[in-house]
Amino acid sequence: MGTYIKYMVGLVMLLLTTVAYSNTPSDQLIIALKMNNILSLDPAAATGNDIAFVNANLYDTLIELDPRDPTIILPAIASDWEVADDGMSITFILNDNINFHSGNPLTADDVVWTLERVLRLNLALATTWKALGYTHENISDLVSQVGEYELELKFPRELDPKLVIYTLATSPSAFIIDKQRVLEHEQNGDLGHRWLTTNSAGSGAFTLDQWIPHDRIIMTRNNQYWGEQPSLERVVMRNLKESQTMRLMIERGDIDVAIGMSVPDIRSLEGAENVDIQTTPRGTLYYVAVSMHNDILANKEVRKAIRGTINYDGINNSIMPYYGIFHQRPIKLGLPATLPEPMYSVSTEKARELLRSAGYENGFTTTIRALNESPFINVAINLQNNLERIGINAEIISGTGNQVYGAMRDRRFDIIVGRGGGGFAPHPDSNLTPLLLNPDNSDAAKLTNFQGWRTGYQNDRINELITSAVSESDSAIQNSLYEEVQTIYDQDVGALFPFSQMVNTVAVRSEVEGYLDDPAAMTRLRSVTKRGE
Amino acid sequence: MIRSRWLGAAKKLGVIFITLFGLLTMTFVIGRLMPIDPVLAVVGPDADSSTYEQVFLQMGLDRPIWVQYFYYLQDMLSGDFGYAILTGSPVVNDIIRVLPATIELASVAIIFGVGLGVPLGVYAATHRGRLGDHLTRIITLFGYSTPVFWVGMVGLIIFYAWLNWAGAAGRIGFAYDGMFVSYTGFYLIDTLLSGNIDAFISALRHIALPALILGLNSVSFLGRMTRSFMLEQLSQEYVKTARVKGLSERSVIWKHAFKNILVQLLTIVALAYGGLLEGAVLIETVFAWPGFGQYLTDSLLMGDMNAVMASVLFIGLVFVFLNLLSDVLYKLFDPRTK
Repeated sequence: MGTYIKYMVGLVMLLLTTVAYSNTPSDQLIIALKMNNILSLDPAAATGNDIAFVNANLYDTLIELDPRDPTIILPAIASDWEVADDGMSITFILNDNINFHSGNPLTADDVVWTLERVLRLNLALATTWKALGYTHENISDLVSQVGEYELELKFPRELDPKLVIYTLATSPSAFIIDKQRVLEHEQNGDLGHRWLTTNSAGSGAFTLDQWIPHDRIIMTRNNQYWGEQPSLERVVMRNLKESQTMRLMIERGDIDVAIGMSVPDIRSLEGAENVDIQTTPRGTLYYVAVSMHNDILANKEVRKAIRGTINYDGINNSIMPYYGIFHQRPIKLGLPATLPEPMYSVSTEKARELLRSAGYENGFTTTIRALNESPFINVAINLQNNLERIGINAEIISGTGNQVYGAMRDRRFDIIVGRGGGGFAPHPDSNLTPLLLNPDNSDAAKLTNFQGWRTGYQNDRINELITSAVSESDSAIQNSLYEEVQTIYDQDVGALFPFSQMVNTVAVRSEVEGYLDDPAAMTRLRSVTKRGE
Repeated sequence: MIRSRWLGAAKKLGVIFITLFGLLTMTFVIGRLMPIDPVLAVVGPDADSSTYEQVFLQMGLDRPIWVQYFYYLQDMLSGDFGYAILTGSPVVNDIIRVLPATIELASVAIIFGVGLGVPLGVYAATHRGRLGDHLTRIITLFGYSTPVFWVGMVGLIIFYAWLNWAGAAGRIGFAYDGMFVSYTGFYLIDTLLSGNIDAFISALRHIALPALILGLNSVSFLGRMTRSFMLEQLSQEYVKTARVKGLSERSVIWKHAFKNILVQLLTIVALAYGGLLEGAVLIETVFAWPGFGQYLTDSLLMGDMNAVMASVLFIGLVFVFLNLLSDVLYKLFDPRTK
C-alpha cells in the first residue's frame, strides 16, 4: 500500500514538474480578454468594443482616425474624398490595388453594398446610421457607385460632413465586406448574415484562421495586404475571465496583452518591470440618471439635491481610477465645444434644504439600479450612503446588463448608475444625441436608443440646438450652439448627471512595441512588433 | 420471465422519459421566469426599437409561452435544437465541440480521484481509530469542504506563479493554439497523434493542476465512501472466518472485503464521474477551460435558452446513462441480482 501511494505521489509530481515553457514566440501576439460580448463577427450586427477590435484587424474602413489624435482623418480604402459644394454629399475615390482575402478586388460596388446591407438587415449597428437619418428605404438613393473605384454618399438631411466622415471611420458597421464572397453564402435572403456571424470576408491586415466562440480567435498575417506588411505572423486572442489569472500570466510572459483586468490587479502591475499599463480615454460617460416618470424625481429641486449628493471627488479618486476620469459635462473631454467642468460637489446641507423646499423634508424611498460589477455597484453603494444622509432611503437593485439597461429601456427605473452616450467620434453630437436628445417623449415613440428618452427628460430648446448644430458647417457657430446646450442642461438640472469619462486600461508586455489602444476601440495590430529573446 | 423483463425495461424507459420531460419543462419555466432578455443580448443596450422588435419576432418571443414550449418540444423531437445566441452555431455542434474538454478534464480527475481516494479509504478503514485514519479523515474533510474556486486560485499562485511547475489557463499554451490537428478533441491524444511532443507536454502541464484540484473532491468523496463500505465488510463474519483460516491480512482485505465493495464502489465512481462532468464549472472558470460547464454558465447568463435547454437535457441524459451503466454493472458483478 505504501509503495502504491508513493507511486501515485510520484506521478502527481511528474505531472506538475514537466518542463516549463514561458514567454510567447516573437512572431505571435497573445492577447487575453473576456469574450462574453463577442457574439457575432458580422459587422452589421457586432456590438461592443471587443468585436470592433477584432474586426479592425480583419477588415478595412474607407478612412481611419489617427489613434494619437482622433481629429486627424487618414486615408485607408479611400485614397481621397471631397465634400460637395452644397455640403450635402461626399465623393470617395478608392485605391484600385486592394483585394479581399478571397482574392476578389475591392471596388465601389462592395462599399455601396456594405452600407446598404447595414440598413437592409436592420440589426444592432443600423442604429448609428438611423440616428443620422439613413433608413432602409432611402439608403439605395443616397449611396451610389460613380465609377469602379468611385462612389458618392449623399446626406439624408443637412448634416455636418465631419459627422458622416467620423461615423465611417469609427462605426464597426463601416467595415467594408466582400460582396461576392458573402453572397455565395446567402441563405433565405439574409445577405449572408448567418455565414458572416462566424466567418469573415474582409481585406484587413490579418485573415481569420479560427474562431471558437468564447474560447479563441486566431488571425494570421495577410501576406497580400495592400498596405504596410504586418510584422506579426499570428495573433491569438484567448478568452480569459479571471482577472487574477490574467495578471499572473502577463507577469510571467505567457500573454502579451491583457484587456479587462480588475483594478486591484492593474494596481499590482503598476511599476512591474516587464509590463506597461496603457490608459486611453474613450468617449463614453459614466453617469447617475434619474427617471422623470417618477413624480418625486421629476421635481427639479429633488434632482438638484441628488446632483449635490454625488461624491464626485471621492468616487473619482477611490473607485474610478483605471475605469474613468473626472468629468461632469455631457460632451467628452478634449473637444473645443466642451465647457469647463461645472465643479459640482457634495453639499449635504444644501441638498437637505433643496429637499425641504421641494416638500420632501422627511425624505422618500427609491431604488438604484446598477450592474453587479465594478465600478457600477461601488458607485451605487457610495450614492446610497450619501442619499441616506439627506433622508432618501434607496434600495440597490443590482443585476446583469440585461436587467439594468433593459429596465432603463422600458422606462422602469428610479435611479440608475450607468455608462453610455456613444462618444466614439470626436464630435459633440456623438455624445449629445444618445444622451440628451429626446424629440418625442411619448411612450409610443419607443426611442430606446436615446438615453434622453429613457429618462423622460425633454427640453425643447436643447432638442432644437442639437438638431441645428448637427447641420451647422461653421465650426465657431456650431461650438457656440453646443456650449448653449451645456449651459441650459446645467441650469435646468437634466436627468442624467455625468461623473466620469470612461478610460480603457490595457496591460502590455514591454517586449511589445507599437501597440496603441484606439480611442474608438478599433485598435489595429498591423504596426505591432515584438522584440525577440 | 421474458415478459417481466420487457415490462421492467418498458417501466425504466417510461421513468427516463418522464424524468427528461420534467427536466425540460422545469428548465423552460425557470428560463422564462429569469429576468434576462435574450433580445438585448443580441442587439445590445443601445439598439433602437425597430431593431429590437425585428429580433424579438425572429426569436419567436411574440408567441404565447405554451406555444413557444410546444414548438420547442416539436423541434427537439425532430432533432433540431436550434442555434445558440452565444455562438451563432447549432447548439448540437457547440455541445460536441465543448464536451471533449470537459470529458478529458473529468477523466484525468477521476483517475486521480479513484487512484488516491480508494486506497486512502481502504487504508483508513483498516487502521480505524489510528493516526492514519484520523489524517485521512482530515484530508478528505478538507477536500470536501474547501471551495474549489479558492483552491484553484491558490494552486495557480503556488504551482504556476511561484514554482513554474504547472501551466496556467486554457487547455494548452496559447502559442500552441491551432498548431496541431484536432482528431478527437482530446488534446492529450491529438497532440500525440500529430507528433507534436512540445504541444503534448504543454497540454499535460495545463491539465495537471485543474484535474488534480477537481479530483481532490473525488478523492474526498471516494475516500470517505470506501472507508465506510470497507468498515461494514470488515465487521462481517466471513472476514473473521478468513482471518481464523490463517489468510494473510493483505488477502483478507483485497481479495475478500474489497472485492465485496466493488459493486457499490462502481456505482459511486460513476456518480462521481457524472458529478465531475457537470460540476467542473468553477474550475473551468478559474483555468479558462473551454468546456461544457463554462458553456452552460455563459448560456444561462446570456438567457440563451436553446443552449441551456439542450445542455440540461444532455446532463440529464448523462445521469440516466450512468445510472443504467451502474445497473448493468450490478447485474454483471453481483450474483444475487441474476
